[in-house]
Amino acid sequence: MKSWNPEAVEAILASQGIRLAPGRAARIAAALNASADLADPLLGALEFETDPTAYALALSRCRSK
Amino acid sequence: MNAPADFSVEACGERIARWQPRINAFVRIEETPRGGGAGRLANLALAHKDMFYRAGQVSNCGSKIRRGWVASETSTALERLDAAGALQLGTLNMSEFAYGPTGHNDHWGDCCNPWNPDYITGGSSSGSGAAVAARLVVAALGSDTGGSVRIPAAACGVTGLKSTWGRVSRAGAMPLSHSLDTIGPLAGSAEDCARILQVIAGFDPKDPVSSREPVDDYLSGLAGKGLRIAVSTSWIESNAHAEVAAAVLGAARALRSGGATLVEAEPPDFDTLSAHCITVLQSEASAQHAPWMRERPGDYSAAVRTRLEAGFAVPAAAYLEALRLRGAWLEQFCARTLSDVDLYLLPAMVVRVPTREQTGPRGGAGMPTLLAEVTRLTRWVNYLGVPALVLPCGFDSNGLPIGLQLVARPFAEATLLRAGHAFQRATDWHRRVPPG
Repeated sequence: MKSWNPEAVEAILASQGIRLAPGRAARIAAALNASADLADPLLGALEFETDPTAYALALSRCRSK
Repeated sequence: MNAPADFSVEACGERIARWQPRINAFVRIEETPRGGGAGRLANLALAHKDMFYRAGQVSNCGSKIRRGWVASETSTALERLDAAGALQLGTLNMSEFAYGPTGHNDHWGDCCNPWNPDYITGGSSSGSGAAVAARLVVAALGSDTGGSVRIPAAACGVTGLKSTWGRVSRAGAMPLSHSLDTIGPLAGSAEDCARILQVIAGFDPKDPVSSREPVDDYLSGLAGKGLRIAVSTSWIESNAHAEVAAAVLGAARALRSGGATLVEAEPPDFDTLSAHCITVLQSEASAQHAPWMRERPGDYSAAVRTRLEAGFAVPAAAYLEALRLRGAWLEQFCARTLSDVDLYLLPAMVVRVPTREQTGPRGGAGMPTLLAEVTRLTRWVNYLGVPALVLPCGFDSNGLPIGLQLVARPFAEATLLRAGHAFQRATDWHRRVPPG
């Protein structure tokens, strides 16, 4: 998915009150497009009910015995 | 050259006066050291990254924005060190708001590597790494959100411990990314790291994510043999600089000679885990800094402003997806990579320590790639939240240190320190000090 362009980045940051330094929007758009291309191999198996707090349980389960 | 044995206030003061003009490790040197007295760390000479608050004292956080800001509370980590009788000789330089891996600082001056001031110290705990390397103090606190204890430890040739997320209270320490921030010591040896961690680890009601898991006896845990250590030899040979690979694999052999068993393992998916770390780090850091980014963006350095801008464009769903996946990745790491071993061994950095020019504003087109290489093997650890220890294990042909990294299960700091101590009983890399 290559949905980001500099104009979109500028608009999203402007909507949050952030003024971009000159020349930055294109670099941020490129980085976002690159990260959108990453396919996480665990995502497909992630249970619907999983939320970020599952991490705390995993920390405890994985501790050394 | 072996480390000087004299860490009296007078001897440290003499070394600070001699080294400070060359390496800029301190931002404030106390006329009279704070604290001291009886306790586990009685009169131990320490100094800390300038982001650990002390009530009534300035914490600049490496920034222009917080220059002269006076804290109203004392961090739990400092309170515990004070109670143990430690001395604080001053506060140490750092990357601006702990958001940079090199040690450059536009506002307070770059911190320079004691082995060669043209080279980076690593960051963000730049002053901590430099001060310990030059033996200006016995140990120093740092923080580690993406490698900020381990990269300076590696680049400066000292021992640095990134604790498990929640093992050490962050109360009263400057936040960068609450899901990733950890605190740990940099010191001349694993044994000294154990002494510091013993004092600062443990539950703190002032930090809601601090863990109630019991704190091990790290010092008595230093004894013992028979560890099983996983290593991905071919990955290291293919991905690390040849000098880094030789030193790190040589360290693995030294551990084996000392009684450890080496087991070949597939490497974790460093790059996917690092990408998730960056998503979380950018999102949380930018939210933390949003008011200042709206009101006074020009008061950030260009490098930090650039990093903060990027976080405002991360989709909320991507941030939450990275956090939803975190537990699954941790379980996979422990079930696969650490399935029948105690530790995973790898370099701290795949590259040799770069120069300040290579990684600074004049670094040119290759600079972003080089910075990514510097953090390639540290960020994944923060995403998983597991502990890691970095130890010096050699020198490159430029005369700069090379760092070995050991990674363990959550709350297995004692295992890391035991392995580090065994390695340091068999080698003398940690006793080398920079000339001068």
